[in-house]
Amino acid sequence: MNAPARYAVQGLLYAAFIAFVGYFANAPTYEPLAPGYALVRLSFSHGAQRKEPCRKRTAEELAKLPPNMRAPLDCPRERSSVIVELEMDGELLYRIVAPPTGLAGDGASTVYRRLTVKAGRHHFRARLSDNVKGEFNYAAERSIDLGAGRALLIDFNAGQGGFLFRM
Amino acid sequence: MTLLWLVYASGINGYMLPWDKLAQFVVIATAEWFDALPIFGGTLIRNFIAEGAVNDRLWSLLSFIHIGLPLAVLALLWIHTHRVPGANTNPPRAIMVGTSVALVVLSLVRPVTSQGGPADLSAAITTVDLDWFYLPVYALIYRWSPGEVWLLVGGATVLFLLLPWLPPKRRRKAGFHILLHPDNRIIPVRDGEPVLEAALREAVPAPFECRNGGCGECKATLLHGSVDYGLYQDSALTPDERAGGKFLMCCATPLADLEIEYVPTKTPGNVPVRVYTARVMRMKLLSHDVMQLLLKVQGDEVPRFYAGQYINVLLPDGQKRSFSFATAPHERDHIELQIRRVPGGLFTTRIFEEMKEGDTLQFEGPLGSFFLREDSRKPIIFVAGATGFAPVKSMVEHAFHTGMKRKMYLYWGVRSLRDLYLPELPRRWAREHENFAFIPVLSEPKPEDEWTGRTGLVHEAILADFPNLSEHQIYACGSVAMVQTAHPAFVAHGMSEHDCFSDAFKLAPHLRAESAELVQPGGRR
Repeated sequence: MNAPARYAVQGLLYAAFIAFVGYFANAPTYEPLAPGYALVRLSFSHGAQRKEPCRKRTAEELAKLPPNMRAPLDCPRERSSVIVELEMDGELLYRIVAPPTGLAGDGASTVYRRLTVKAGRHHFRARLSDNVKGEFNYAAERSIDLGAGRALLIDFNAGQGGFLFRM
Repeated sequence: MTLLWLVYASGINGYMLPWDKLAQFVVIATAEWFDALPIFGGTLIRNFIAEGAVNDRLWSLLSFIHIGLPLAVLALLWIHTHRVPGANTNPPRAIMVGTSVALVVLSLVRPVTSQGGPADLSAAITTVDLDWFYLPVYALIYRWSPGEVWLLVGGATVLFLLLPWLPPKRRRKAGFHILLHPDNRIIPVRDGEPVLEAALREAVPAPFECRNGGCGECKATLLHGSVDYGLYQDSALTPDERAGGKFLMCCATPLADLEIEYVPTKTPGNVPVRVYTARVMRMKLLSHDVMQLLLKVQGDEVPRFYAGQYINVLLPDGQKRSFSFATAPHERDHIELQIRRVPGGLFTTRIFEEMKEGDTLQFEGPLGSFFLREDSRKPIIFVAGATGFAPVKSMVEHAFHTGMKRKMYLYWGVRSLRDLYLPELPRRWAREHENFAFIPVLSEPKPEDEWTGRTGLVHEAILADFPNLSEHQIYACGSVAMVQTAHPAFVAHGMSEHDCFSDAFKLAPHLRAESAELVQPGGRR
């Protein structure tokens, strides 16, 4: 192959290389969420109640302990699991029993769930149990107009009264 | 694989910092992907769960990762490239320039810009223009599930890790040996290993550039043996060249023991190899079969060399004979050779029967990678067999000249007393230098020798004196048989391969007999 032809072929190959790299560097477009749908995200980290209540140590028990360890209350570390139910328009959308983290089972229960729902107005009802009996001691409901491509965050913070619906 | 993943992580981290729609997609997908692992379980996403969750501390962490990961990549790359012999990390210059220009043009024609404005954590990402070279895994996270993507990347990682052992070989062959010219050195080559890889691993100054059969820089001549030529471009090795015995060291793998000739890129210390003409100043018979030759180099230009190196005397018919310098490098007046007569030998017979003072000869040098290493503090054991004393003399005199304080032991093994051709010289060294000891060893002393010193094989004498050789450097110069016997015994007594120096250590018994004769270190090659 003579020199001009060789350079021409090289030019074509470089052009093909540029086109290939240039196109796939940001195309085709990817759709993580289909049109007409919205996102519901349930996410929280919550330490449930202890499985056994704290007990007051007797004076004899305290006397047996080293002086620096004489805490008046004896609190077993293990916590209950957290049970969460999320309903949308009267139907159960998601339910989870989240055990406590940590080797001793004394950490917070963490939940994250990404749910894709059709866009529109929906009625959400969330319930949470964080006690050993499994009684739902937190509940909240809200009607929300969830537009396409919007994201609803359902968070939980016991200090702020329980469930938080955030858009 | 560690490097690959670190490079990948660095790139992913780079996509986070613009904090646009793509960054939002990447940080959330990354958090959701990792949260699928039980150890995280939904905690990572809390860092990006809503507007206001991304605080300055988290942002500082991301920026730190942006600097820290590439630094870790650089550090590991440095280690990695140092573990590959003669690593060439750049492509050929033409491709490097062409690709760089192409990418610069592309960046001007189609620059990458931020997508969709600043990240909005309250909104879902509905569409995003992905970099499909880098982020296809991120699309799979939502097309499949995070757990399945972990299985995919974990499986791919394990597969790549196992790749060097796939397909498993039932039994690995021992490999072959290559006799290199002009070094007159023998190196081992592993089964299936290209010649160039083996040469670079043994610090042979072999020429190379592309390492893939494209440039022809590593062309060498096959003198003996057969190779699998491998895949290469015809322009790098023409059919005529191949028919003429040429091959490419980077592509060829040995099918038998080889003898090859190549053009070294450098010699130790970058001392240039040149052809010199010398006049025989003096000839002196040191023993019944050893001749001392003092050469005066024309133009009084004694080549610079390292103690232990050798020269090739060029014979009129094109053959070469190798002899070690017996003089130390600081001796600038003449070159001394100690030549042992080989019965029937072409050149040595000429020396003993025809050569006279005033004759001239040509030689090339200096050559060889066998020389005194001065970067260690370990005591030295010199093992000389017969005229293997010549390079030892050069090294010891050099050590004395430079004031080296390391302890030196010379074990000189010969058959009988008449073969010990310069006994007074090392004895004088021992008297004059506290750090030098001389132990002559006779393997077959004659009754008339009345020998009361050490007897037996020279390496056995060393092992008797040094049961543990792990803290010594050994320089062995002698017959092939001596070195082949001594080497495994030394290794069994703790000798480190890094602390033993002798070209003949790597000698293969199945190489051509005459080639083996040529590579004996010392005075007769």
